[in-house]
Amino acid sequence: MTPQMIFLMFFGGAAVWFGIVVFRTLSMVRSALALLFSQTAVGVMFLLMQAEFLGVLQIMMMATEMSVMAIFMVMFMMDPGGMGAMDMTHQKRLSLWAGGIGFVAALAVIWLADWGPANLQIPDATEQTAELGRELLGRSMFIFESAALMILTAMVAATMVAIHPSEGRKR
Amino acid sequence: MTVLIVLVALAVGAYLVAVLESWAVHGRLEPARPAISALALLGRESLLARTPDRLFFEAGPVVLLVAGLLAVAVIPLAPGLIVTDLATGALFLNAALAYVLVALIMAGWGPNGAYAMIGGWRFLGQFVAYAMLIVMPITAVAMRAESLSTVDIVTSQSTLWNIAYQPLGFVLFVAAAMGLCWLPPLDLPTARGDLAGGIEAEYTGARLAVLRLARMVLIMALAGATVTFYLGGWLGPWLPAWAWSAIKILFVAGLMVSVGRLVPRVREAQYLEISWKLGIPLALANIFLVGVITLVVPI
Repeated sequence: MTPQMIFLMFFGGAAVWFGIVVFRTLSMVRSALALLFSQTAVGVMFLLMQAEFLGVLQIMMMATEMSVMAIFMVMFMMDPGGMGAMDMTHQKRLSLWAGGIGFVAALAVIWLADWGPANLQIPDATEQTAELGRELLGRSMFIFESAALMILTAMVAATMVAIHPSEGRKR
Repeated sequence: MTVLIVLVALAVGAYLVAVLESWAVHGRLEPARPAISALALLGRESLLARTPDRLFFEAGPVVLLVAGLLAVAVIPLAPGLIVTDLATGALFLNAALAYVLVALIMAGWGPNGAYAMIGGWRFLGQFVAYAMLIVMPITAVAMRAESLSTVDIVTSQSTLWNIAYQPLGFVLFVAAAMGLCWLPPLDLPTARGDLAGGIEAEYTGARLAVLRLARMVLIMALAGATVTFYLGGWLGPWLPAWAWSAIKILFVAGLMVSVGRLVPRVREAQYLEISWKLGIPLALANIFLVGVITLVVPI
Protein backbone atom coordinates (compact mmCIF):
# COMPACT_ATOMS: atom_id res chain seq x y z
CA MET A 1 0.00 0.00 0.00
CA THR A 2 1.54 3.29 -1.11
CA PRO A 3 1.40 6.49 1.00
CA GLN A 4 -0.77 7.96 -1.78
CA MET A 5 -3.42 5.27 -1.17
CA ILE A 6 -3.31 5.79 2.61
CA PHE A 7 -3.87 9.55 2.19
CA LEU A 8 -6.58 8.87 -0.37
CA MET A 9 -8.41 6.64 2.11
CA PHE A 10 -7.93 9.20 4.89
CA PHE A 11 -9.43 12.06 2.86
CA GLY A 12 -12.16 9.81 1.51
CA GLY A 13 -13.07 8.99 5.11
CA ALA A 14 -12.93 12.69 6.00
CA ALA A 15 -15.29 13.53 3.11
CA VAL A 16 -17.81 10.93 4.32
CA TRP A 17 -17.45 11.98 7.98
CA PHE A 18 -18.05 15.68 7.24
CA GLY A 19 -21.00 14.62 5.09
CA ILE A 20 -22.47 12.90 8.17
CA VAL A 21 -21.71 15.99 10.33
CA VAL A 22 -23.89 18.07 7.97
CA PHE A 23 -26.96 16.25 9.31
CA ARG A 24 -25.80 15.79 12.91
CA THR A 25 -25.45 19.48 13.78
CA LEU A 26 -28.35 21.84 14.45
CA SER A 27 -26.41 25.01 13.55
CA MET A 28 -27.00 26.03 9.95
CA VAL A 29 -23.56 27.67 9.59
CA ARG A 30 -21.83 24.58 10.98
CA SER A 31 -23.87 22.43 8.63
CA ALA A 32 -22.90 24.53 5.57
CA LEU A 33 -19.22 24.62 6.52
CA ALA A 34 -19.19 20.86 7.23
CA LEU A 35 -20.43 20.35 3.67
CA LEU A 36 -17.64 22.69 2.53
CA PHE A 37 -14.99 20.61 4.32
CA SER A 38 -16.48 17.43 2.86
CA GLN A 39 -16.12 18.90 -0.64
CA THR A 40 -12.64 20.24 0.15
CA ALA A 41 -11.62 16.71 1.13
CA VAL A 42 -12.87 15.53 -2.29
CA GLY A 43 -10.71 18.29 -3.84
CA VAL A 44 -7.67 17.01 -1.94
CA MET A 45 -8.48 13.53 -3.29
CA PHE A 46 -8.29 14.98 -6.82
CA LEU A 47 -4.89 16.46 -5.93
CA LEU A 48 -3.70 13.07 -4.61
CA MET A 49 -4.80 11.44 -7.87
CA GLN A 50 -2.60 14.04 -9.66
CA ALA A 51 -5.51 15.94 -11.22
CA GLU A 52 -4.06 19.28 -10.12
CA PHE A 53 -6.34 21.68 -12.00
CA LEU A 54 -9.55 19.86 -11.03
CA GLY A 55 -8.44 19.62 -7.39
CA VAL A 56 -7.56 23.31 -7.05
CA LEU A 57 -10.75 24.30 -8.88
CA GLN A 58 -12.90 22.12 -6.60
CA ILE A 59 -11.26 23.57 -3.47
CA MET A 60 -11.76 27.14 -4.75
CA MET A 61 -15.34 26.90 -6.01
CA MET A 62 -16.72 25.12 -2.94
CA ALA A 63 -15.44 27.76 -0.49
CA THR A 64 -17.51 30.49 -2.11
CA GLU A 65 -20.53 28.35 -2.91
CA MET A 66 -20.93 26.96 0.58
CA SER A 67 -20.41 30.39 2.20
CA VAL A 68 -23.17 31.88 0.07
CA MET A 69 -25.34 28.87 0.93
CA ALA A 70 -24.67 29.48 4.63
CA ILE A 71 -26.17 32.98 4.52
CA PHE A 72 -29.26 31.71 2.68
CA MET A 73 -29.73 28.97 5.29
CA VAL A 74 -29.40 31.55 8.07
CA MET A 75 -31.95 33.79 6.34
CA PHE A 76 -34.60 31.15 5.68
CA MET A 77 -34.37 28.79 8.68
CA MET A 78 -36.31 29.46 11.86
CA ASP A 79 -33.49 28.48 14.21
CA PRO A 80 -30.24 29.13 12.33
CA GLY A 81 -27.97 28.91 15.38
CA GLY A 82 -29.47 25.62 16.50
CA MET A 83 -29.77 26.97 20.03
CA GLY A 84 -33.51 26.30 20.26
CA ALA A 85 -32.90 22.58 19.51
CA MET A 86 -35.61 22.65 16.84
CA ASP A 87 -36.00 19.54 14.66
CA MET A 88 -35.78 20.77 11.08
CA THR A 89 -35.89 17.39 9.32
CA HIS A 90 -39.01 16.33 7.49
CA GLN A 91 -40.27 13.64 5.06
CA LYS A 92 -37.97 11.18 6.83
CA ARG A 93 -39.36 7.97 5.25
CA LEU A 94 -39.11 9.39 1.71
CA SER A 95 -35.56 10.70 2.25
CA LEU A 96 -34.43 7.38 3.74
CA TRP A 97 -35.74 5.51 0.70
CA ALA A 98 -34.28 8.03 -1.76
CA GLY A 99 -30.90 7.98 0.00
CA GLY A 100 -30.86 4.17 0.20
CA ILE A 101 -31.74 3.72 -3.47
CA GLY A 102 -29.15 6.33 -4.48
CA PHE A 103 -26.49 4.56 -2.41
CA VAL A 104 -27.26 1.15 -3.92
CA ALA A 105 -27.31 2.63 -7.45
CA ALA A 106 -23.92 4.28 -6.88
CA LEU A 107 -22.45 1.01 -5.60
CA ALA A 108 -23.90 -0.85 -8.58
CA VAL A 109 -22.33 1.63 -11.01
CA ILE A 110 -18.97 1.33 -9.23
CA TRP A 111 -18.96 -2.48 -9.35
CA LEU A 112 -20.70 -3.20 -12.64
CA ALA A 113 -19.16 -0.53 -14.89
CA ASP A 114 -16.20 -1.48 -17.06
CA TRP A 115 -13.60 1.10 -16.01
CA GLY A 116 -10.92 -0.17 -18.38
CA PRO A 117 -7.26 -0.49 -17.42
CA ALA A 118 -5.82 2.04 -14.96
CA ASN A 119 -3.93 4.88 -16.65
CA LEU A 120 -0.32 4.62 -15.54
CA GLN A 121 1.05 7.32 -17.87
CA ILE A 122 -0.28 10.49 -16.23
CA PRO A 123 0.44 13.66 -18.22
CA ASP A 124 2.01 16.49 -16.17
CA ALA A 125 -0.15 19.28 -14.75
CA THR A 126 0.59 21.80 -17.54
CA GLU A 127 -0.44 19.32 -20.22
CA GLN A 128 -3.57 18.35 -18.26
CA THR A 129 -4.66 22.00 -18.06
CA ALA A 130 -4.07 22.47 -21.81
CA GLU A 131 -6.03 19.32 -22.63
CA LEU A 132 -8.87 20.40 -20.36
CA GLY A 133 -8.96 23.75 -22.19
CA ARG A 134 -9.13 22.00 -25.57
CA GLU A 135 -11.94 19.76 -24.30
CA LEU A 136 -13.94 22.70 -22.90
CA LEU A 137 -13.56 24.79 -26.07
CA GLY A 138 -14.03 21.84 -28.41
CA ARG A 139 -16.24 18.80 -27.99
CA SER A 140 -17.87 19.89 -24.68
CA MET A 141 -18.32 23.55 -25.59
CA PHE A 142 -21.99 23.20 -26.49
CA ILE A 143 -22.85 21.47 -23.18
CA PHE A 144 -21.05 24.09 -21.11
CA GLU A 145 -22.44 27.03 -23.06
CA SER A 146 -26.02 25.75 -22.73
CA ALA A 147 -25.49 25.10 -18.99
CA ALA A 148 -24.12 28.65 -18.61
CA LEU A 149 -27.11 30.11 -20.40
CA MET A 150 -29.49 28.15 -18.16
CA ILE A 151 -27.72 29.38 -15.02
CA LEU A 152 -27.83 32.97 -16.32
CA THR A 153 -31.57 32.65 -16.99
CA ALA A 154 -32.11 31.25 -13.49
CA MET A 155 -30.08 34.12 -11.97
CA VAL A 156 -32.11 36.77 -13.80
CA ALA A 157 -35.37 35.04 -12.84
CA ALA A 158 -34.33 34.71 -9.18
CA THR A 159 -33.42 38.41 -9.05
CA MET A 160 -36.75 39.36 -10.62
CA VAL A 161 -38.62 37.26 -8.04
CA ALA A 162 -36.60 38.74 -5.17
CA ILE A 163 -37.19 42.39 -6.12
CA HIS A 164 -40.45 43.71 -4.73
CA PRO A 165 -42.49 45.29 -7.56
CA SER A 166 -43.01 48.61 -5.73
CA GLU A 167 -39.27 49.07 -5.15
CA GLY A 168 -38.65 50.17 -8.73
CA ARG A 169 -41.21 52.97 -8.54
CA LYS A 170 -39.84 54.50 -5.32
CA ARG A 171 -36.48 55.43 -6.87
CA MET B 1 15.50 26.29 3.18
CA THR B 2 13.44 28.22 0.61
CA VAL B 3 10.44 28.02 2.93
CA LEU B 4 12.50 29.51 5.76
CA ILE B 5 13.80 32.39 3.61
CA VAL B 6 10.29 33.18 2.35
CA LEU B 7 8.87 33.09 5.91
CA VAL B 8 11.61 35.42 7.24
CA ALA B 9 11.09 37.78 4.29
CA LEU B 10 7.35 37.69 4.97
CA ALA B 11 7.83 38.47 8.68
CA VAL B 12 10.18 41.41 7.95
CA GLY B 13 7.87 42.70 5.21
CA ALA B 14 4.76 42.41 7.39
CA TYR B 15 6.52 44.31 10.18
CA LEU B 16 7.58 47.13 7.87
CA VAL B 17 4.08 47.41 6.41
CA ALA B 18 2.63 47.49 9.94
CA VAL B 19 4.97 50.43 10.69
CA LEU B 20 3.81 52.15 7.50
CA GLU B 21 0.15 51.55 8.37
CA SER B 22 0.52 52.99 11.86
CA TRP B 23 2.28 56.00 10.28
CA ALA B 24 -0.70 56.46 7.91
CA VAL B 25 -3.23 56.10 10.76
CA HIS B 26 -1.55 58.02 13.60
CA GLY B 27 0.58 60.46 11.58
CA ARG B 28 3.79 59.60 13.49
CA LEU B 29 6.59 57.33 12.35
CA GLU B 30 7.21 54.94 15.28
CA PRO B 31 9.30 51.90 14.22
CA ALA B 32 8.72 50.07 17.54
CA ARG B 33 4.93 50.49 17.56
CA PRO B 34 3.88 47.11 16.03
CA ALA B 35 6.20 45.22 18.43
CA ILE B 36 4.84 47.11 21.43
CA SER B 37 1.22 46.55 20.33
CA ALA B 38 1.88 42.85 19.75
CA LEU B 39 3.48 42.44 23.19
CA ALA B 40 0.58 44.33 24.77
CA LEU B 41 -1.97 42.10 23.02
CA LEU B 42 -0.12 38.91 24.03
CA GLY B 43 0.03 40.11 27.64
CA ARG B 44 -3.68 40.78 27.85
CA GLU B 45 -6.33 38.25 28.86
CA SER B 46 -8.00 36.58 25.85
CA LEU B 47 -11.69 36.70 26.72
CA LEU B 48 -14.26 34.19 25.54
CA ALA B 49 -17.75 35.42 24.71
CA ARG B 50 -20.79 33.86 26.40
CA THR B 51 -22.15 30.71 24.62
CA PRO B 52 -19.83 31.01 21.62
CA ASP B 53 -19.49 28.58 18.74
CA ARG B 54 -16.15 27.67 20.26
CA LEU B 55 -14.85 25.72 17.24
CA PHE B 56 -15.42 28.60 14.79
CA PHE B 57 -14.26 31.22 17.29
CA GLU B 58 -10.90 29.49 17.71
CA ALA B 59 -10.52 28.37 14.09
CA GLY B 60 -11.38 31.70 12.38
CA PRO B 61 -8.08 33.59 12.92
CA VAL B 62 -6.02 30.43 12.31
CA VAL B 63 -7.79 29.61 9.02
CA LEU B 64 -7.21 33.23 7.93
CA LEU B 65 -3.50 32.91 8.69
CA VAL B 66 -3.22 29.57 6.86
CA ALA B 67 -5.06 30.99 3.81
CA GLY B 68 -2.64 33.94 3.68
CA LEU B 69 0.42 31.68 4.02
CA LEU B 70 -0.83 29.32 1.28
CA ALA B 71 -1.33 32.32 -1.03
CA VAL B 72 2.27 33.42 -0.32
CA ALA B 73 3.51 29.92 -1.26
CA VAL B 74 2.99 30.50 -5.02
CA ILE B 75 4.50 34.03 -5.16
CA PRO B 76 8.03 34.03 -6.67
CA LEU B 77 10.52 36.42 -5.01
CA ALA B 78 13.44 35.61 -7.34
CA PRO B 79 14.24 32.87 -9.90
CA GLY B 80 14.11 29.69 -7.82
CA LEU B 81 13.00 31.50 -4.67
CA ILE B 82 9.40 30.26 -4.50
CA VAL B 83 7.89 27.75 -2.06
CA THR B 84 6.14 25.75 -4.80
CA ASP B 85 5.93 26.56 -8.51
CA LEU B 86 2.60 24.92 -9.32
CA ALA B 87 1.45 24.52 -12.92
CA THR B 88 -1.85 26.03 -11.72
CA GLY B 89 -0.27 28.71 -9.48
CA ALA B 90 -2.55 31.61 -10.43
CA LEU B 91 -5.63 29.45 -9.81
CA PHE B 92 -4.16 28.13 -6.55
CA LEU B 93 -3.75 31.72 -5.34
CA ASN B 94 -7.49 32.24 -5.90
CA ALA B 95 -8.31 29.00 -4.11
CA ALA B 96 -6.27 30.04 -1.06
CA LEU B 97 -7.84 33.51 -1.02
CA ALA B 98 -11.36 32.03 -1.21
CA TYR B 99 -10.79 30.71 2.33
CA VAL B 100 -10.41 34.29 3.61
CA LEU B 101 -14.19 34.49 3.27
CA VAL B 102 -14.68 31.19 5.10
CA ALA B 103 -12.36 32.35 7.91
CA LEU B 104 -14.14 35.67 8.34
CA ILE B 105 -17.59 34.06 8.38
CA MET B 106 -16.29 31.69 11.08
CA ALA B 107 -14.79 34.60 13.04
CA GLY B 108 -17.99 36.62 12.66
CA TRP B 109 -20.38 33.78 13.59
CA GLY B 110 -18.22 32.23 16.32
CA PRO B 111 -18.38 34.72 19.21
CA ASN B 112 -22.21 34.88 19.22
CA GLY B 113 -22.22 38.69 19.12
CA ALA B 114 -24.37 40.94 16.93
CA TYR B 115 -21.60 43.29 15.78
CA ALA B 116 -19.20 40.48 14.88
CA MET B 117 -21.91 38.58 13.01
CA ILE B 118 -22.95 41.63 10.97
CA GLY B 119 -19.26 42.22 10.21
CA GLY B 120 -18.89 38.64 8.93
CA TRP B 121 -21.93 38.82 6.68
CA ARG B 122 -20.87 42.27 5.46
CA PHE B 123 -17.65 40.69 4.29
CA LEU B 124 -19.70 38.11 2.38
CA GLY B 125 -21.50 40.99 0.62
CA GLN B 126 -18.15 42.56 -0.13
CA PHE B 127 -16.90 39.23 -1.45
CA VAL B 128 -19.74 39.00 -3.97
CA ALA B 129 -18.54 42.39 -5.24
CA TYR B 130 -14.80 41.77 -5.48
CA ALA B 131 -14.64 38.05 -6.35
CA MET B 132 -15.08 38.32 -10.12
CA LEU B 133 -12.73 41.31 -10.27
CA ILE B 134 -9.92 39.22 -8.77
CA VAL B 135 -10.45 36.28 -11.14
CA MET B 136 -11.12 38.07 -14.45
CA PRO B 137 -7.99 40.30 -14.52
CA ILE B 138 -5.90 37.21 -13.60
CA THR B 139 -7.48 35.44 -16.60
CA ALA B 140 -6.16 38.19 -18.89
CA VAL B 141 -2.70 37.95 -17.29
CA ALA B 142 -2.64 34.16 -17.80
CA MET B 143 -3.77 34.66 -21.42
CA ARG B 144 -0.67 36.73 -22.19
CA ALA B 145 1.66 34.33 -20.37
CA GLU B 146 -0.12 31.30 -21.91
CA SER B 147 0.40 29.66 -18.51
CA LEU B 148 -1.06 29.64 -14.99
CA SER B 149 2.39 29.24 -13.41
CA THR B 150 3.37 32.41 -11.54
CA VAL B 151 7.01 32.02 -12.64
CA ASP B 152 5.94 31.91 -16.31
CA ILE B 153 3.73 34.94 -15.71
CA VAL B 154 6.73 36.94 -14.45
CA THR B 155 9.00 35.87 -17.33
CA SER B 156 6.28 36.73 -19.87
CA GLN B 157 6.67 40.38 -18.79
CA SER B 158 10.39 40.63 -19.67
CA THR B 159 9.76 42.99 -22.62
CA LEU B 160 6.83 44.97 -21.21
CA TRP B 161 5.28 44.88 -17.75
CA ASN B 162 1.58 44.05 -17.58
CA ILE B 163 0.82 47.41 -15.94
CA ALA B 164 1.56 48.96 -19.36
CA TYR B 165 0.19 46.02 -21.38
CA GLN B 166 -3.16 45.86 -19.58
CA PRO B 167 -3.54 48.94 -17.32
CA LEU B 168 -7.30 48.41 -17.03
CA GLY B 169 -6.77 44.97 -15.46
CA PHE B 170 -4.23 46.44 -13.04
CA VAL B 171 -6.65 49.09 -11.73
CA LEU B 172 -9.48 46.55 -11.35
CA PHE B 173 -7.23 44.00 -9.63
CA VAL B 174 -5.81 46.46 -7.09
CA ALA B 175 -9.28 47.80 -6.25
CA ALA B 176 -10.54 44.24 -5.74
CA ALA B 177 -7.45 43.36 -3.68
CA MET B 178 -8.22 46.28 -1.34
CA GLY B 179 -11.71 44.83 -0.86
CA LEU B 180 -10.26 41.39 -0.18
CA CYS B 181 -7.98 42.79 2.58
CA TRP B 182 -10.87 44.95 3.90
CA LEU B 183 -8.61 48.01 3.73
CA PRO B 184 -10.07 51.52 3.79
CA PRO B 185 -12.22 52.74 2.04
CA LEU B 186 -13.65 49.18 1.99
CA ASP B 187 -13.18 48.41 5.70
CA LEU B 188 -16.84 48.13 6.69
CA PRO B 189 -16.51 44.53 8.04
CA THR B 190 -14.28 45.86 10.84
CA ALA B 191 -15.61 49.44 10.95
CA ARG B 192 -14.89 51.08 14.31
CA GLY B 193 -17.56 53.76 13.99
CA ASP B 194 -20.76 51.80 13.44
CA LEU B 195 -19.84 48.20 14.37
CA ALA B 196 -17.41 48.79 17.27
CA GLY B 197 -14.77 46.80 15.39
CA GLY B 198 -17.11 44.31 13.65
CA ILE B 199 -15.27 41.00 13.24
CA GLU B 200 -12.58 42.20 15.67
CA ALA B 201 -15.14 43.32 18.27
CA GLU B 202 -15.20 40.13 20.39
CA TYR B 203 -11.55 39.14 19.95
CA THR B 204 -9.01 40.12 22.61
CA GLY B 205 -5.49 39.17 23.64
CA ALA B 206 -3.58 36.49 21.78
CA ARG B 207 -6.51 35.62 19.47
CA LEU B 208 -6.71 39.25 18.29
CA ALA B 209 -2.94 39.24 17.76
CA VAL B 210 -3.30 36.21 15.44
CA LEU B 211 -6.17 37.91 13.58
CA ARG B 212 -4.12 41.11 13.05
CA LEU B 213 -1.03 39.13 12.00
CA ALA B 214 -3.14 37.15 9.52
CA ARG B 215 -4.44 40.41 8.03
CA MET B 216 -0.87 41.66 7.55
CA VAL B 217 0.12 38.36 5.87
CA LEU B 218 -2.91 38.75 3.59
CA ILE B 219 -1.88 42.31 2.63
CA MET B 220 1.64 41.05 1.84
CA ALA B 221 0.20 38.18 -0.24
CA LEU B 222 -1.97 40.55 -2.27
CA ALA B 223 0.88 43.04 -2.75
CA GLY B 224 3.05 40.12 -3.88
CA ALA B 225 0.33 38.97 -6.27
CA THR B 226 0.01 42.50 -7.72
CA VAL B 227 3.78 42.67 -8.27
CA THR B 228 3.87 39.18 -9.81
CA PHE B 229 0.93 39.76 -12.16
CA TYR B 230 1.45 43.41 -13.17
CA LEU B 231 4.81 44.86 -12.09
CA GLY B 232 7.16 42.29 -13.56
CA GLY B 233 7.90 40.40 -10.32
CA TRP B 234 11.66 40.22 -9.74
CA LEU B 235 12.54 41.82 -13.13
CA GLY B 236 14.60 45.03 -13.06
CA PRO B 237 18.07 46.42 -13.90
CA TRP B 238 21.23 46.72 -11.70
CA LEU B 239 19.89 45.39 -8.38
CA PRO B 240 19.62 41.65 -7.60
CA ALA B 241 16.27 39.95 -8.27
CA TRP B 242 15.20 39.56 -4.62
CA ALA B 243 15.85 43.25 -3.97
CA TRP B 244 13.54 44.27 -6.82
CA SER B 245 10.81 41.97 -5.44
CA ALA B 246 11.25 43.46 -1.95
CA ILE B 247 11.16 47.08 -3.17
CA LYS B 248 8.12 46.54 -5.39
CA ILE B 249 6.12 44.52 -2.84
CA LEU B 250 6.80 47.02 -0.04
CA PHE B 251 5.89 49.93 -2.32
CA VAL B 252 2.57 48.35 -3.38
CA ALA B 253 1.71 47.27 0.19
CA GLY B 254 2.55 50.77 1.46
CA LEU B 255 0.24 52.33 -1.12
CA MET B 256 -2.52 49.83 -0.29
CA VAL B 257 -2.49 50.64 3.45
CA SER B 258 -2.18 54.41 3.09
CA VAL B 259 -3.89 55.83 -0.02
CA GLY B 260 -7.36 54.43 0.67
CA ARG B 261 -7.59 56.46 3.88
CA LEU B 262 -7.90 59.67 1.85
CA VAL B 263 -11.26 58.52 0.40
CA PRO B 264 -14.58 58.26 2.30
CA ARG B 265 -15.85 54.74 3.15
CA VAL B 266 -17.85 52.88 0.52
CA ARG B 267 -21.04 51.09 1.61
CA GLU B 268 -21.28 47.44 0.47
CA ALA B 269 -24.39 48.25 -1.60
CA GLN B 270 -22.49 50.95 -3.49
CA TYR B 271 -19.46 48.69 -3.82
CA LEU B 272 -21.65 45.90 -5.24
CA GLU B 273 -23.30 48.30 -7.66
CA ILE B 274 -19.99 49.74 -8.94
CA SER B 275 -18.39 46.28 -9.18
CA TRP B 276 -21.18 44.61 -11.11
CA LYS B 277 -22.40 47.46 -13.32
CA LEU B 278 -19.01 48.99 -14.13
CA GLY B 279 -16.23 46.65 -12.97
CA ILE B 280 -17.32 43.39 -14.63
CA PRO B 281 -18.04 44.93 -18.08
CA LEU B 282 -14.62 46.64 -17.90
CA ALA B 283 -12.97 43.34 -16.89
CA LEU B 284 -14.63 41.60 -19.87
CA ALA B 285 -13.44 44.42 -22.17
CA ASN B 286 -9.94 43.93 -20.72
CA ILE B 287 -10.00 40.19 -21.51
CA PHE B 288 -11.18 40.96 -25.06
CA LEU B 289 -8.51 43.66 -25.62
CA VAL B 290 -5.71 41.49 -24.26
CA GLY B 291 -6.90 38.62 -26.47
CA VAL B 292 -6.81 40.83 -29.57
CA ILE B 293 -3.38 42.31 -28.69
CA THR B 294 -1.93 38.85 -27.92
CA LEU B 295 -3.08 37.54 -31.29
CA VAL B 296 -2.21 40.58 -33.42
CA VAL B 297 0.92 42.21 -31.92
CA PRO B 298 3.60 39.85 -30.59
CA ILE B 299 5.17 41.76 -27.65
